[in-house]
Amino acid sequence: MQVFKVFCKVMLKHKTQFLMYIVIYMIISIAVSRSVQESKVMEFSKVSLKVAVDNRDQGELGGGLVSYLKEYNEIKKVPKNQEAVKDAMYYQEIDYVLLIPEDFTEKIREGTGEEILEGTVVPGSSTAYLIENEIKQYLDTASMYLRAGMDSVSAVELTKEDMQQEADVNYLEKSDGESLPVGFHFFRYLPYVFMVVMILGLGAVMKTFRDKDLSARNKCSAMSFFNQNVQIILGCIFFTLVVYTLFMVMALCLTGDYFFSIKGLLSAVNALVFSICAASLAWLCVQFVRSMEELNAMSNVFSLSFSFLGGVFVSLDLMSDGVRQAAKFIPSYWYVIANNEIQKVESFAEAGSVYQSYLVVLLFALAFFAVGLLANRMKLRTAQ
Amino acid sequence: MFFRLYLYSIRQTTRQKLIMFWSLIFPVILGTLFRIAFGEFINEEVVFHQIPVAYVAEESASQIFAEMLKFLEEDNKLVKVIETDEANAQKLLKEEKVEGIYYNKASEIGDGGNISLTVTKDEMSQSILSSVLEQYQRVFHTMQNIGRKNPAGIKEAVQVMEQEYQYLKEGAISDTPQNAMTDYFYALIAMNCLMGVSMGMQIAVGFKANLSDLAARRVVSGTGQFGMMMPDLLAKITIQFLCTVFAVCYLMFALKIPLGDKFGFVLLTTLVGSIVGIFMGFFIGAVGTYRESLKEGICICSMMLSSFLAGLMVGNMYRFLENHVPIVNRINPASLIVKALYSLNIYEGYERYTQCMISLIVLAAVLGAGAFAMIRRERYASI
Repeated sequence: MQVFKVFCKVMLKHKTQFLMYIVIYMIISIAVSRSVQESKVMEFSKVSLKVAVDNRDQGELGGGLVSYLKEYNEIKKVPKNQEAVKDAMYYQEIDYVLLIPEDFTEKIREGTGEEILEGTVVPGSSTAYLIENEIKQYLDTASMYLRAGMDSVSAVELTKEDMQQEADVNYLEKSDGESLPVGFHFFRYLPYVFMVVMILGLGAVMKTFRDKDLSARNKCSAMSFFNQNVQIILGCIFFTLVVYTLFMVMALCLTGDYFFSIKGLLSAVNALVFSICAASLAWLCVQFVRSMEELNAMSNVFSLSFSFLGGVFVSLDLMSDGVRQAAKFIPSYWYVIANNEIQKVESFAEAGSVYQSYLVVLLFALAFFAVGLLANRMKLRTAQ
Repeated sequence: MFFRLYLYSIRQTTRQKLIMFWSLIFPVILGTLFRIAFGEFINEEVVFHQIPVAYVAEESASQIFAEMLKFLEEDNKLVKVIETDEANAQKLLKEEKVEGIYYNKASEIGDGGNISLTVTKDEMSQSILSSVLEQYQRVFHTMQNIGRKNPAGIKEAVQVMEQEYQYLKEGAISDTPQNAMTDYFYALIAMNCLMGVSMGMQIAVGFKANLSDLAARRVVSGTGQFGMMMPDLLAKITIQFLCTVFAVCYLMFALKIPLGDKFGFVLLTTLVGSIVGIFMGFFIGAVGTYRESLKEGICICSMMLSSFLAGLMVGNMYRFLENHVPIVNRINPASLIVKALYSLNIYEGYERYTQCMISLIVLAAVLGAGAFAMIRRERYASI
């Protein structure tokens, strides 16, 4: 097992680099999965915005609108001049500015309320449009009462009551409504980490063995070529398992019970299958690089593009159909699909589609390996 | 001599494939990935398809809701209703053939019906279905109130419903379309400017006699260091600037990202940004006598950290920092570049833009002066 020993020694030499990457990605994946969870929780509660209101209305409707908005938002005063408004928006002190004119109630009653309010959104804000929807709904209801001939005091009162109506939404099964477990988020970002660590780690060691002089010397040694390669492959498997185990231990610490459930087990197998795929991707990459820096660049390009296109960072639902079709030619897509499916599975027998995804990822691994082998052969032939 | 050194430095840098990869190719790849991932948001043409929904009604249930659904299906093309029985509806929902089930149970009060929505997920389609139901209930409640208190006005009220008023007048402070996704591209441009750190560090290494042979030779030469350094600095700034301009053009013209129409000012921003990037690397390279690989690591880390704080990975970072530690936004180069591009697009006047640019220039001057002060008159007793 000399070659295997050397493999491990080379690996240990690079240990600070691997450790740095693993620790950084550990921190990032923990932070991201935590923050995703937090924002999930946030989605259910209504968004609160800082709204500056200038209410000059002499009727009751303006006041009614402001007190309705006050329920969920923070109401502020409008700064004195236009420049101050711009400054406040620039420094995020206010998200939305609403101007209510003096004849507001009257105009609505007459039905001439088209474009009567002036609302300004902080440019680029993704949440401020929500408040416009709220305002519209409120005013639609209020103007129905006013146009029907009711006085503004009771219109405001009844509108307030109507706005409290909420849709009765149920989930088909109890588990549906629960937010996804920590395990889902933890496993979601693993493909990125695996690809980077495998390409950099395995790549670095394999590159050492492919050094021209070293490989020439190895070829004329007493040990058979086959034997050497078997040991290198063993080394790769060993490295893959070490990285995999490290992350599974982390999963165990972070997700607790989830890890020992059926879902956890399926997720762990999913990660194992993907780590094999990442290792064979590393083998493919190493055929084309000449230096560590190139390997670094390649690991970034592959891991980022596979992660973005495969739906690791951005949810697949947000992509157009064309992109989704193209994503099917990327292994991380199948990993993500499996990870989503796993959340719906209750027993091993139900997990048909999950096994299918495993198989596709394994086929990708085989394909990468085969292409790498081909490239390797061709290189050897041209070298001769 | 100046021009010859400048030319040599340009040639030498462009031949370093890796440097060119990071400065030229990487931002293009990342930009393309952003575009693909957020593509739907940028053009705001959300692919819309009718939402399939099952409808299960009891025989004696009120028909008003069914009529409204029919209207939404035929006129608005918002939903696609499948009328069926309960067992089948649940089967469809489980197989994800429909996004939700509306149950319409008969109720004794004789109102709009006792309607509920059953779903399995909490996503976009589901929230649309839920808001359809909510609006229906609100309007029904309103109509009921009017009918009870002032039946004569019901016709007027119905008119309001049909007229679809727009109460709000957009009081925008800019005409440029702007959405949260554009910030990612600003941050990308900022990162691209700061990619110059590696090049900047190389300049400094070229004057640190303990780190490179070239520097050792330069130290013993008769020419002043400043005279040799300036062409090198200028050459690297030129290359970094051209790389960034390439990326900006790619974003604007190939990917059609709306970065505003003040193209000249965008280029000016990237020029100043590139200078800051190069000087940042120059400064890091000049500090102390550490190994080159360590300095390289610090360069990459500071560039990534700066971009992260400007919102490259997580959007809304700027807002978060502005609320908690505003000082970071005033001195972080990537945030300043992002904010400069933002104010250029949003505000008519140039005061905020100029503010950011002045901060950037001051930052570059401080870094440059610091680096030069550390390198000048450095003498070695032994290497």
